[in-house]
Amino acid sequence: MRELIEHTEGINRLMARYGVKFGIYKGGEFHEQLFPFDAIPRVITHEEFRQLERGLIQRVDALNLFLNDIYGEKKIIADGVIPEEFVFISSGYLPQCEGIKPPKNIYSHISGIDLVLGKDGEWYILEDNLRIPSGASYPMIAREICRRVSPATFGNNSVVDNRQYAAMLRETLDWVNTGGVPVIMTPGRYNAAYFEHSYLAERTGSALASCTDLFVEDNYLYYKDYRDRKQKVGVIYRRISDEYLDPMTFLPESLIGIPNLMDVYRRGNVAIVNAPGNGVADDKGIYYFVPKMIRYYLDQEPVLKNAPTYLPFYEEDKKYVLDNLEKLVIKDVAEAGGYGVIFGNELSRERLQEMKELIERESRRFIAQEVIDFQDMEVMDGDEKVLRKADLRAFVLSGEKTRVWPSGLTRFSRNADSFVVNSSQGGGFKDTWVLSQWKK
Amino acid sequence: MGIISMEKVDHLYWLGRYTERVYTTLRVFFHIYDRIIEQPEGIYGKYCERLNIPNIYTSNRQFVQSYLFGEDNPDSVYSNMRRAYDNAIVLRDELSSTVLSYVQLALDTFASCRKTTAPLLELQQVIDDLLAFWGGADDYVEEEDCRNILKCGKYVERLDLCIRLDYHEKDLEKEYRKLCNRLGKTNLNYSPQSLARLEEIILREEDPKSHYGEALACLGGLIYAG
Repeated sequence: MRELIEHTEGINRLMARYGVKFGIYKGGEFHEQLFPFDAIPRVITHEEFRQLERGLIQRVDALNLFLNDIYGEKKIIADGVIPEEFVFISSGYLPQCEGIKPPKNIYSHISGIDLVLGKDGEWYILEDNLRIPSGASYPMIAREICRRVSPATFGNNSVVDNRQYAAMLRETLDWVNTGGVPVIMTPGRYNAAYFEHSYLAERTGSALASCTDLFVEDNYLYYKDYRDRKQKVGVIYRRISDEYLDPMTFLPESLIGIPNLMDVYRRGNVAIVNAPGNGVADDKGIYYFVPKMIRYYLDQEPVLKNAPTYLPFYEEDKKYVLDNLEKLVIKDVAEAGGYGVIFGNELSRERLQEMKELIERESRRFIAQEVIDFQDMEVMDGDEKVLRKADLRAFVLSGEKTRVWPSGLTRFSRNADSFVVNSSQGGGFKDTWVLSQWKK
Repeated sequence: MGIISMEKVDHLYWLGRYTERVYTTLRVFFHIYDRIIEQPEGIYGKYCERLNIPNIYTSNRQFVQSYLFGEDNPDSVYSNMRRAYDNAIVLRDELSSTVLSYVQLALDTFASCRKTTAPLLELQQVIDDLLAFWGGADDYVEEEDCRNILKCGKYVERLDLCIRLDYHEKDLEKEYRKLCNRLGKTNLNYSPQSLARLEEIILREEDPKSHYGEALACLGGLIYAG
């Protein structure tokens, strides 16, 4: 391990060489930034991973059942488990997806579940990401480089190899493929996660396609060749938001997207990964109800806990939130990427009052959570070890079976006082080691 | 997968052109830099004229800085290196991460050379990275069609620069044959008339230099989209 840490600079140099970057817009201009890597890994024991795995599979299976239900019979609403207001006013709910059955009934093929490890040793789910969760490529390439830099570290520690993510992803794509080539659809190189799009295309053997490379003809989707040949597309792993998928169905003013793609999808002639409309299930408001979903659909007790959450929509919760705002974290359900997160203890008295009034007025817009006292992780700051907040994004792939990738993206805050770990806000990342049951 | 979109063809072709432009102009610059030691100010004027780029330079010293590294100078070698990178970055799945990394390395090295007092010492590394890129492309790019399109771009640029910089006729003939060989292996749309005239000028005209303007025009219109 010491060897790895000693070579952190060299590892980061190799990452730069391979273009391990993310894009960010500042002042209206696009900039590419390196994603700083810290060589001290997050280590998860075999037993701990088994527990996480059980909980994550359970959660994602329930979320997939929820999506099938919401765009189908809506039993969970009829049975009074989730109030309909929370479903139908969610910006992630797409009426255009009503009645569509995706291939093999899978909505969320790639789920990115954000967790933190509390000081009580318990893992807490912070957020479900079921639309286009990114980040798997970073620990994939980091592991590749780390193994090169210090084989002894991996020789002496029983770390489960995480480099099979691309194979897992390809199997997931193949499982729902309706007959045709797989493509990864990117909005282009000025997207924040473009490195990942291109890297996953390379590693899964999929074609990296932009909207202009794809077209619909006679209710099938095709990839267009420069020699005027066309190849049928059976599965499209789109890295573009729902609203930009098809201007004929969603935003007519959009200049991007593939006209009539949704018709092809509706007829079952192409699989869209992840399915459009998933936003209704990873909405911050719906998060509160996931443990209830698990009980409702699976008749099981949730293995993993949610962070204690309050919905000001309910009078009782609203009262608690207003009385305790200064010790809670408030999240705007419409925001993502670490934005719209407000810590009550950082607000002035005036801002606190303004926030209370806003919550009174727009109670559906916010959720409030207890600030989880999560474990700090060691991070190298120059030659010194310092403690920083870190989370874990676990990746769950749903194909023939639901599987958890034995690794994940550990993001840490580079600022000592910050809980915000998002790369877009200056955070770095670590590899996540899952230890094998076979000790060396 | 065996299919290449029109957009990717465009990027492959221009990646070939820009990497070649950087490679050849850097090598030529090495000679100019050497001649600057003994020769008076303004040596760059003729060079600009030959490359048909505006002579915006005021001194040898400023030429070295601006022509090599000028971020705001669209004709600088650095700007061409950036264009090579812009075309390469969207081709990871065609090129592979390994091959793409040499373009990234060349760009990063170029950027870091800006502050050095001995630019040629450091820029040698850029040339090495570009040679590694071409070696990598031969070795790692699986689709033959991709390699051929990339090399078409390279040889169009090479021939263009050889004509402009008044290379020996034997060199022109050699580069022309390389281009024909690659072009015949692709399905790129090209003008047979332009190619035939180019061949006539390079291989058969008694005074080819008097037709170089026409040769450049033929080369410019040789390959077209659609």
